[in-house]
Amino acid sequence: MDAKEIVNLVLKEAKRFKVDDAASIASTSHEDMIRFSNNSITIVKSLSNTVVYIYVATEKKRMLGETSNPTSEGIAQFVESLVKSCRANPPSEDYTPLPKGPFRYSGAPNYDKKIEENPDLLIGLAGEAIDNAISAGAKRVAGSLTAYADELTIASTGGVEAREKGTTILLNVRAFADSNASGHGLSCASSLADFDAKGAGRTAGEYAKKALNPSALPEGKYDVIMSPSVAADIFQHVGWAASAFSVESGYSFLADLLGKKIAVEKLSIDDVGLLQRGLGGRSFDDEGVPTGRTSIINKGELKNYLHNTTTARKFSSKTTGNAGLIDPHPWNLEVAAGNSSVEEMIKSVKYGVFVTNNWYTRFQDPRSGAYSTVPRDAAFLIENGAIKNPISSIRISDSIPRQLGSVAAIGKERKWVKWWEVSVPQPYPIIYAKKSRQMPAISVSAAG
Amino acid sequence: MDERLARFAVDRARALGAQYAEARIQRNLESEAILRNGNPEPAVIGDALGIGIRVLVNGSLAFSATNMLTEESVRSLVEGAIKRAKSAAKFTKQKIGFSNEKSHQAKWSAPEKKNIENVGIEDLARVLKELDNSIKNGKNGVEFPNRLFFLRTMLVERIYVNSDGANLRGRVPRLQFHSYISAKHSGKTSTVTIPAGYAQLGESGGWEVLDRFDLFEYVPKTAEELADVVKAEKKPPTETVDVILGPEVSGLVSHESCGHPGEADRILGREGAQAGESYLKSNDIGYKIGSEQAFVSDDPTLPNSMGFYLYDEEGVPARKRALISKGIISSFLHNRESAHDLNTSSNASARSVRYDREPIVRMANTYIEPGDYTFEGMVKDVKLGVYIKSFMEWNIDDKRLNQRYVGLESYLIEKGEVKHHVKDPILEITTPKLYGSLDARGNDLKFMGATCGKGDPMQGIPVWTGGPHVRLRNIRVAAR
Repeated sequence: MDAKEIVNLVLKEAKRFKVDDAASIASTSHEDMIRFSNNSITIVKSLSNTVVYIYVATEKKRMLGETSNPTSEGIAQFVESLVKSCRANPPSEDYTPLPKGPFRYSGAPNYDKKIEENPDLLIGLAGEAIDNAISAGAKRVAGSLTAYADELTIASTGGVEAREKGTTILLNVRAFADSNASGHGLSCASSLADFDAKGAGRTAGEYAKKALNPSALPEGKYDVIMSPSVAADIFQHVGWAASAFSVESGYSFLADLLGKKIAVEKLSIDDVGLLQRGLGGRSFDDEGVPTGRTSIINKGELKNYLHNTTTARKFSSKTTGNAGLIDPHPWNLEVAAGNSSVEEMIKSVKYGVFVTNNWYTRFQDPRSGAYSTVPRDAAFLIENGAIKNPISSIRISDSIPRQLGSVAAIGKERKWVKWWEVSVPQPYPIIYAKKSRQMPAISVSAAG
Repeated sequence: MDERLARFAVDRARALGAQYAEARIQRNLESEAILRNGNPEPAVIGDALGIGIRVLVNGSLAFSATNMLTEESVRSLVEGAIKRAKSAAKFTKQKIGFSNEKSHQAKWSAPEKKNIENVGIEDLARVLKELDNSIKNGKNGVEFPNRLFFLRTMLVERIYVNSDGANLRGRVPRLQFHSYISAKHSGKTSTVTIPAGYAQLGESGGWEVLDRFDLFEYVPKTAEELADVVKAEKKPPTETVDVILGPEVSGLVSHESCGHPGEADRILGREGAQAGESYLKSNDIGYKIGSEQAFVSDDPTLPNSMGFYLYDEEGVPARKRALISKGIISSFLHNRESAHDLNTSSNASARSVRYDREPIVRMANTYIEPGDYTFEGMVKDVKLGVYIKSFMEWNIDDKRLNQRYVGLESYLIEKGEVKHHVKDPILEITTPKLYGSLDARGNDLKFMGATCGKGDPMQGIPVWTGGPHVRLRNIRVAAR
């Protein structure tokens, strides 16, 4: 069966059981991956999957299912079992009927046939990344290169029918000049034309070389310049906190702040369903509603939460096309570009740090947004407007609401970020968070 | 699940020139009820079934997977894997090999009294409703306006065969609970998890595990403790003091700063770009990292454990591994690939979370070994200190050397007595300092469930983290 036949069979089987609502998405995907370390390929992977996602509702009872058996018999059995479980589930006050379509979808999918049909190409690209990192100063290089293609087909009892293809190619490369000096490089694109393996390798190698012989940094409060990777890691939490599900569940630092000034004037963040030449993204959400552009923060003001039809009804709002049938979620976060170059930002810092990468961001209290994160790879001390020396073994501790108010400059160039630590793709600029009398700056500490 | 298909994949790979081949047919069945503020969210059922194969060709390794379980599809899968491995061979500068291991044929399963497959969504939903009723009116003057509960059954079944002659069939049922609770007091709202630290109650076994969780006692009691925690305003002492870590914290410590850096694939650099490397080098067996009181082990065979297995995903029989003994690094965690590189044997650490994920080196149930101390005996000798019973925020660098744990339920210790709550004490410490300061281990070993992340694509795998109360001497504590 092809994907359209699968989703139609799901609806037919669900209707046989007289459910009130049913929706199904069939996802057919293929992923090729090359992993490498110590300048050598460690494994090549090839993953092909067809997964069928199903939603049914009856008598205000709701159920979601996922099956990897897309045969006629498999679908029929799974739907029967899903409806049976649904009927056994208690009814919910939150039940909201699926939206009525059909809808019109706009925006060209981010799809490049060359990525889907050219797995052997990856081996050469991985080699280019490794070679360029070594030429730039690395001794050892590790990373992963992934080419992903999928096709999503949706149908619902609300009259929704849609199908779209997408591709992404992602390179995450880490170069080591010695055991205490590493650099990180990324290239993420939906087409080969926008992909730059050599550049990612070169960046990683250059940072690794610059990170040699790092110094310790005294604990204290510093101005911090965050690379696009760091800014994306921290600010993706703004996207999740903007989900109406997070707000209603009590773990959003954006709760009760709609319409209020929560950030500096120069900061605007939108969620965008399908950005041209962007990564992933969708023209329809899991309810079949067209995705679009939703302003989360506009010139410092919290404008919208992200909704599906259920949360929208509860918040007396409209769906923003961000379903998740349980929790609405961001597709792509777009931070409006600023007008600063990285050189200008560094020049304006009297005493601060420049962090190129980080990981392990964790919250003490997700409601307050208090967190810490661990810089990794190259980081530098900035003194009197110039990079002075590399630093290591530091940790950043702050709160996101406080940080939103301390953004002093935003880069004019943006870079797509998606990797192991950043799951929401983002075209992200460099961010400069500045301390001030009103706003104590980011704390930096080291283990004792 | 058709074993013939797995055997067909292995035979076909060998016929096409693979020096080694394995096939794993795996099914993951899950069902989960979610209750939010007293209202059911859509319940979730998942059924993932497919086949994953690994082939080694001319020292080049390929992994391929599909959910299309037909002979034609598997034939194509094998041919593609062989082709990719051959293409990659010329760029595989360090040839890959597997350690020689004895082959086993066995059928095994985690003990299960009440079949997990007979648990319906309505059973899970009923438990969550009762839990919500038990705390929805608040405790000790603190409201809980937001309550989000999850209860999930999981069942993993797999067939594993390889070209060395292994033939294994395994089954592990599990039950898992976690929640988010907001606590409102004096106009301020804080959100934490129960269990704290984004952890879980998790065990392998059937529906009888629910009785062992004792949720109807555990959740209201923990919520009551939380009500006191959110009222805490006093800061911890910030000078050098003694610190007692509760089992929830010591268990995480064992996982983060002993288990992870002891994974041999990290030591060898294979995870360098994602999960990171290690402060340990490949010749560090025998290296002194801590005091004579530092003992850390990992044991997949622990009954009822979240990380339970009897054979790993390369067919090697599971056994207990001593990672630190008397402060000395005593072994690494190995799969067959890392064991081959370091000229040793696998200690059965290869795990994979689904059919479409490669088996890599993982922990199972990592814990600090218990000692002889009672908690009271441990506190008695502390003049000034902090007792960190539970935590929320934590992180560690990617070599596993520089770590931080921020206390949730925490107390001041003064003149041998536990006093009042302190707010958010921060323990930021290096791994040698932590294990070097350890001078007492309690007799109260306890385990928590957790999902450990590693690999690319990411594999979140069920584990236990465990430990008793432990005492660290002369530690610098900070306040937020």
